[in-house]
Amino acid sequence: MSALLEIEDLNVTFNTRYGAVTALDSVSLHVNAGETLGVVGESGCGKSITALSVMGLIPSPPGRIAGGSIRLNGEELTTASPARMRAIRGAEAAMIFQEPMTSLNPVFTVGAQIAEAIMLHQKVGADQAMRAAVALLDRVGIPSPDARARDYPHQLSGGMRQRVMIAMAVSCRPKMLIADEPTTALDVTVQAQIFDLLNEIQRDFGAAIVLITHDMGAIAEMADRVAVMYAGRVIEGATADDVLDHPQHPYARGLIDCIPNIAKGDAALREIPGVVPPLHLLGAGCAFAARCAHANNRCHTEKPKLAAHGHHPAACHAVQEGRI
Amino acid sequence: MTASFFIRRIAYGLLLMLGVVILNFLLIRLAPGDPAVVIAGEMGGIDAQMLAAIRADYGLDKPLPTQLWIYLSNVVQGNLGESFFFNQPVATLISARIGPTILLVLTAQVLSIVIGMFLGVIAARKPNGPLSGFVSVFATIGYAVPVFWTGIMLVILFASVFPIFPVEGMRSVRLRDAGPIAQFFDVAHHLVLPAFTLAIIYLAQYARLSRASMMDVLGSDYIRTARAKGATEQSVLFKHALRNAALPILTVAGLQFGNLISGALLVETVFNWPGMGRLAFDSILRRNYPTVLGVLFFAAAMVVAANILTDLSYRWADPRLRGRE
Amino acid sequence: MTEPTVPEPYVAESPGREAWRMYSRNRTALFGLGLLFVILAITFYGSFFYAGDAYDIVWAPHEPPMVTPEFPLGTDYLGRDIVTGMLKGGGPTMAVGAAAALITMVIGVSLGALAGFYGGWIDTALMRFTEFFQVLPALLFAMVLVTLFSPSLWTIAFAIGVVSWPQTARLTRAEFMKIKELEYVTAARAIGAKNTRIIWKVILPNAAPPLIVSAALTIGVAILFEAGLSFLGLGDPNVMSWGLMIGANRDQLLDAWWPVTFPGLAIFLTVLAVSLVGDGLNDAFNPKLRER
Repeated sequence: MSALLEIEDLNVTFNTRYGAVTALDSVSLHVNAGETLGVVGESGCGKSITALSVMGLIPSPPGRIAGGSIRLNGEELTTASPARMRAIRGAEAAMIFQEPMTSLNPVFTVGAQIAEAIMLHQKVGADQAMRAAVALLDRVGIPSPDARARDYPHQLSGGMRQRVMIAMAVSCRPKMLIADEPTTALDVTVQAQIFDLLNEIQRDFGAAIVLITHDMGAIAEMADRVAVMYAGRVIEGATADDVLDHPQHPYARGLIDCIPNIAKGDAALREIPGVVPPLHLLGAGCAFAARCAHANNRCHTEKPKLAAHGHHPAACHAVQEGRI
Repeated sequence: MTASFFIRRIAYGLLLMLGVVILNFLLIRLAPGDPAVVIAGEMGGIDAQMLAAIRADYGLDKPLPTQLWIYLSNVVQGNLGESFFFNQPVATLISARIGPTILLVLTAQVLSIVIGMFLGVIAARKPNGPLSGFVSVFATIGYAVPVFWTGIMLVILFASVFPIFPVEGMRSVRLRDAGPIAQFFDVAHHLVLPAFTLAIIYLAQYARLSRASMMDVLGSDYIRTARAKGATEQSVLFKHALRNAALPILTVAGLQFGNLISGALLVETVFNWPGMGRLAFDSILRRNYPTVLGVLFFAAAMVVAANILTDLSYRWADPRLRGRE
Repeated sequence: MTEPTVPEPYVAESPGREAWRMYSRNRTALFGLGLLFVILAITFYGSFFYAGDAYDIVWAPHEPPMVTPEFPLGTDYLGRDIVTGMLKGGGPTMAVGAAAALITMVIGVSLGALAGFYGGWIDTALMRFTEFFQVLPALLFAMVLVTLFSPSLWTIAFAIGVVSWPQTARLTRAEFMKIKELEYVTAARAIGAKNTRIIWKVILPNAAPPLIVSAALTIGVAILFEAGLSFLGLGDPNVMSWGLMIGANRDQLLDAWWPVTFPGLAIFLTVLAVSLVGDGLNDAFNPKLRER
């Protein structure tokens, strides 16, 4: 059975004042129908660029898909016409963004914004679309949806706005839902509610979800499988349990160590020393080498490939050489 | 809510107009020389009898507060004084000329906003493209050219080189008895050059401003949302982005309205447009102060009205401001 | 024997020097500065070469340009030399512009500083006052002032200043409101500095960059104002100016294009130079905004 979404050797470059930099370097991912794939990594790892590539929303210029393929239901997206991409966006693949405060247009009512998404892809009248929008608001747990549909975004709280975004995203029952850090900007209590809602939505609508996050806790709660990204590459991929219980790549280990584990009597916040290097400064070796305790000469000169060794695939010389 | 806002806004406007009336009163008193002579204007052959009549009318022998009261109550009754040169009440003089001025100013305003925003929106799509370059050069030049000189250059161009637009007045004499449709087109034909001359500075400014504003908006998250739901490029640009990008233009256009009227004074003079500007110019040359101050009063009233309209349309366009002060 | 080279100690760049470094990288801004110098030099030195009175009738009327070598730009409707007029008229135009800008800045900065610093009812009162002045169409109000107080270079500069200050006041107020909340102002208060000292010595220097830019742009606007007033015949009748030349020759513009064209070009280039310098200063003070 072929996957719902298959990304193969995707390369994305951006023209910057430092010249063309590689934002995504041979990224390969797949998502099966109805499952949740977690994509984790720190900011600047290429998670959002991957999502925007699928949606055909890479700002161009300066961005460009330089190679590879993205197939949704077997249909190649990298070469699809703009009109075809518009038909896919919102209907077959939808996206929820990080900033609910700014992701809704301030001058239109939320009902109108949801109704617009419906009318763009279905042949329905304005009244019918608006009724559908109200029903969706009700479905995502917004109280008195009739009145709220006539509200403007600034009249709603951040959590409510994210619910509106979700309602908009699922309005055309997409097979694929990309959620880019959907809870980062929200309160902790609201985060849990949004995750519950996403789980419900997935159950009811049968959509596959790509959850982009830097929060391993969210992965543990939501994801069936996980891809760890670092500096534009996928460096580890397996089922969520495998990655959480047996992280291979030193970076993945670092991320999991960052989860405060109160049960083990260890509430101290840890962090991985250093930051993701700027993409224009990437050298020939492993991008993580400068921050890695296990780096040797080979790590600084040769890029490791994502290859299975032992438990599950990880792009790390140290793992593949059995040093860790 | 909006109604009470509207009422308060109008009350404040009336207060500002009261200020203008008091200012006018003070200006005449502050000017060097006998106020009666100032009011009469420095025309030849003013006689003692006339001066006495003016003194009685304005109560100039009474104390200042009484004089102010007389002046105020005259203005409230629509009496802005008498133009001794035209031998007509100032209010009559102005009411015959305010229409052409409003026509000119509004046409220029609409032209500059519509064309300026259109250029700005198109330019914003390619921030480093040729149109963007043209918009910034055009805006810099438009800012530096004296508006009356633009008008004169256009007069020279269209009077001698391409005589396709009339360069003087508002109506053709030969069409005085024509039907209303012919007259409408005649006025529109005459309006082309003055309105364009007046619009060109602001057009350039609005183009630059809407380009910047549009670039801002196009980078915002809700535009990405609109694209993510599959909206067409036209819908993204002209529905989602433009309404947000237009808000700063609206503010500036409101603030510029006074300058637009100032510009209209010069443009009317260049093109012999029969408006308040021409009247002010003619009256100033004849030192006919009641008329000049009357023009100042009506011009200020136009600005006040424009400001109220701007505020209301701003609240209409930006829902975040509704229900807030 | 050569003296040993002593390494220069590292000295932090002064803000002015840094601004100049940014400015000198901007080609358009340098062009504006150069253009301004050229215009100033021509009007200043040129009047020595053309010693005649700009009002003197020296030739036949409406001599076209580039025909008689003595009158390269031709003569006007009375037979006055246009080159002489332009050289003699430039000084007053620019002087009035500069003086008016100075008056505008003095009024605007004082009122804006008071409103922004003290806030409360002082702010409310001053802002209402400012709004009132913004209701009056500036050129018309200036026309009224100039006629009432009879035109001279001083009354013109004064009138332009009186009608142009509101924008400066708003800008100054906004800057003061922003800066007075910053830590170093609190620090100055903590050591017991008086309000006047805080206004003049602490906040004003830090608000200077946008005010300098606004001053430059105000000069441009003031020159346009002066030109407009002179064009309407409300200039100082004893002093030649570019606007006056255009106004005086306007009725004959279809017979002779040159007496109205060249002075207008001079106004345009001068205002262009000043505004390019203003834009350049703005970019130099706000390097981050330069991407636009």
